[in-house]
Amino acid sequence: MNCKGRMDSKFMLMADLLCDKAATTTAMLREKLKTCTVEYITNNFDVESIWLNVIMKRLSMWRNFPELMNVGRTFHTSSVCGHIIKLTRLRVVDNSEIGKQAMAEGKPPKCIHIYNKKGVGTIGDKVLVAVKGEKKKGIIVGVKQNQPSLIPKFDSNNVVLIDDTGTPLGTRIHVPIPQILRTILKEKNVVKGVDYTKLLALATRFV
Amino acid sequence: MAGVGCSVRGYFLPLRVARNVVKGSICCLFQQQVRGAKHLNYPRLRNPIWFVRKERTKYEEHLTPENKSFIQEVIHDKYGPPTVIGGISTYKQSPLKLQPMERGSWFPGCRRTGVIARKIGIYPMWLKDGTRVLTTLLQVLDNHVIRYIPPEEFHPPRTSVRNPKSKQQLGCLLVGAESADPQTFTKEYCGLFKDSGVMPTKILGRFLISPEAAVQPGTPLYASHFKPGDYVDVRGKTVYRGFQGVMTRWGFKGGPASHGVTKTHRRPGNIGAGGGKARVWPGQKMPGHMGNRYRILYGLEVLRVNTKYNVIWVKGPAVAGETNSTVYIYDTRLPLRKLKETPHFPTYYPEDDDPLPDDIYSENLHPFTAPTITYEENA
Amino acid sequence: MALWCRGVQRILVDVRPIFSLFQTIGNTEYSSLSSVSRPEGLGSDEAKEAKTVEGHKPIVPLECRFVYPEFLPDPRLDHRNSLREKLERMDMLNRRAHIDIPEFYVGSILAVTSSNSHAPEKSSRFVGICIQRGGCGLRASFILRNVIDHQGVEMFYEMYSPVVQKIEVLRLEKRLDNELLYLRDALPEYSTFQLDMEPEFLPEGAPVPVNPIKVKLKPRPWLERWERQELKGVQDLGLPERFYKRAAEVARPWEKYDLMKEYRASIPAEEQEEIFVEVYSQLQQLEVMRKKMKRRRTFVRPKKMG
Repeated sequence: MNCKGRMDSKFMLMADLLCDKAATTTAMLREKLKTCTVEYITNNFDVESIWLNVIMKRLSMWRNFPELMNVGRTFHTSSVCGHIIKLTRLRVVDNSEIGKQAMAEGKPPKCIHIYNKKGVGTIGDKVLVAVKGEKKKGIIVGVKQNQPSLIPKFDSNNVVLIDDTGTPLGTRIHVPIPQILRTILKEKNVVKGVDYTKLLALATRFV
Repeated sequence: MAGVGCSVRGYFLPLRVARNVVKGSICCLFQQQVRGAKHLNYPRLRNPIWFVRKERTKYEEHLTPENKSFIQEVIHDKYGPPTVIGGISTYKQSPLKLQPMERGSWFPGCRRTGVIARKIGIYPMWLKDGTRVLTTLLQVLDNHVIRYIPPEEFHPPRTSVRNPKSKQQLGCLLVGAESADPQTFTKEYCGLFKDSGVMPTKILGRFLISPEAAVQPGTPLYASHFKPGDYVDVRGKTVYRGFQGVMTRWGFKGGPASHGVTKTHRRPGNIGAGGGKARVWPGQKMPGHMGNRYRILYGLEVLRVNTKYNVIWVKGPAVAGETNSTVYIYDTRLPLRKLKETPHFPTYYPEDDDPLPDDIYSENLHPFTAPTITYEENA
Repeated sequence: MALWCRGVQRILVDVRPIFSLFQTIGNTEYSSLSSVSRPEGLGSDEAKEAKTVEGHKPIVPLECRFVYPEFLPDPRLDHRNSLREKLERMDMLNRRAHIDIPEFYVGSILAVTSSNSHAPEKSSRFVGICIQRGGCGLRASFILRNVIDHQGVEMFYEMYSPVVQKIEVLRLEKRLDNELLYLRDALPEYSTFQLDMEPEFLPEGAPVPVNPIKVKLKPRPWLERWERQELKGVQDLGLPERFYKRAAEVARPWEKYDLMKEYRASIPAEEQEEIFVEVYSQLQQLEVMRKKMKRRRTFVRPKKMG
């Protein structure tokens, strides 16, 4: 049987096992190959039938879509990190005019710069966002990234828009905010002319 | 001979005559600078005196049950009855046969013996401020000192190139761990343990020590040799990973995954520059066998010591080796973490002081017997 | 694999639910496999007695493995060591003496109070439904999920962390699935629970109720391919036929018949018993003590009228 493409390892394993089996089984397989039809056997509890089933499906895939059976052509990707990087879409959680309009239109702000040496942002980092054609600064108050113990993880990447001095543009934050922000922003208050206490005052609930 | 493919422009050191020197071996020193010479295996040229054949082929001896029990009786008479010490089934060793040795006194800079342990696992513990740390558990197996070789008689096969005289002041302490039935070993191996009166052990290790830190052969070594708050170096054999490519072994970045790249996703790429040195330098990082090497991790803090089962908790999960593998624990050589106060010197003797509590914790470690951590409200 | 296949040709039962109750053959080889000293003492005498008794009635209740699942060690043979597991269990019991870690399952609603250095009150309380439970020994952990102010929030807790002050079970129940990660893609009403919820008590000795609720998911895109997982707690996903076809193609229906895979992923029943024989008496004592304290607390002396 000449086939294009590489056989994947699962197929090979099962084919080897079936070769060990009695002649009647292999004869059955040969018969099926001639007809090359796929019958889904639902009520049979026979292990061999199940394997035959899978093998038949794979063979048919092979004949019809040899490119897809080239399993060697895939490459490994790492799992999702979840931290904020450039061009991440964020959700504005305060009631600033510009934020509300952007979220209502369906064009959420995108992060275009992260103000730290790493280039990736997490809770408490200041970011530059592009919202409705303008550049605004914001503080990340919640991420979808898996967090260490006792730090909450949110279902969306939340941002609160601020100006250069740290005063928020809105007057209320209607989603819960992590407690750890208190410590993070206190440390950032050290820089002259920057005051993040107003942001914490706007929060209605701390998680 | 350590030939690494380059011309040997060295000089011949005068032959150092030691007891078991392999005749005709010559020590060559490479004068040429070799890139990354640390990992090159310079060969040991003299085997230590304890390198004797250890295991014997076991064959059916067809002993009668009476003979078998007689042999067991002889072993018990010689070494003591079987007991369980610290969770390990061993034998209650007989009193020491040699003349008692004088115990030295500690001074800063003195090197005392280490301990042979087994890595039994990793689990988390918490510090008093709530920080979580992973700790490796090292169980000090049934350790006994087998022999002490004073510096005048001890000639280690490899001397330091920079400071040839440094090891000449150090003596060698042979320590054995995990006693076993002498019937499983050869006569020569058992002979090493004759003087000390200790049961032959499965593992034999050596520690270089100052002469003041010499310990009487036959003394047992315990986990209380180290105190919580001390820093230790742990040496173990890394996990064997087999023949590995250059990305796993040396951390190379490989090639792009797509964009038309042909068959160059995990290859090293260029291995040398052209020009004058038109060759591959020795020490060029290439694929090869990875792991199964001794590696030392320096400066691990001892967080907790259990005296009942002889277990030491060290901070950090990265001790070399798999679970249930043997490791060697030494006092740290890092200058800022060295011992400042007198430790148990030359080792911990239970008869000296009052019996220690079952569990001793470091100052900043939160023991599970203590109540929940609460933070004080600031004014 | 070919060998066991020939033997098992006609005996095809899904081994997973039955496996935990079967006694394995030859698992006494375990101690020599791990090649480590087994500490004698605690519990081993009782275990030896139990083995010699004919008919082998279990000393500890079978539910222990579900009530205290973190006492069972990681089944990976490379990482097993009886002394370390024993020390870990001792540490777990020591911690349990200071905090009551109640019985709960994935799907139960918990309220956890923990010390928090960042909060002004130095402690914080979170209420949520347990969507995942993991870890063995001191690494045991769980994730609580709640929707607060229309924002989904999840908290990851380590059960044996000394920073956790109190774990209360507000509603003890089980769900149809082992993990409820699909709640992240479900409509928010299925994950919303009041923060001031009152604890609901079950009658003494009653079995843990199973909530047969079928959750409705939001329209795609989802975080995972839920059609490929055999989820029982979701309503009909309503996807086009090609999704189910592809799911059937990548499905691995032989895995539920794989004896060795199940064996490697679980601790044999005899070992489980030995482990629980060690710890059960102490756990029972703690429970009894806590019940007494509760009764003492709730008892209010009747005041004289007039």
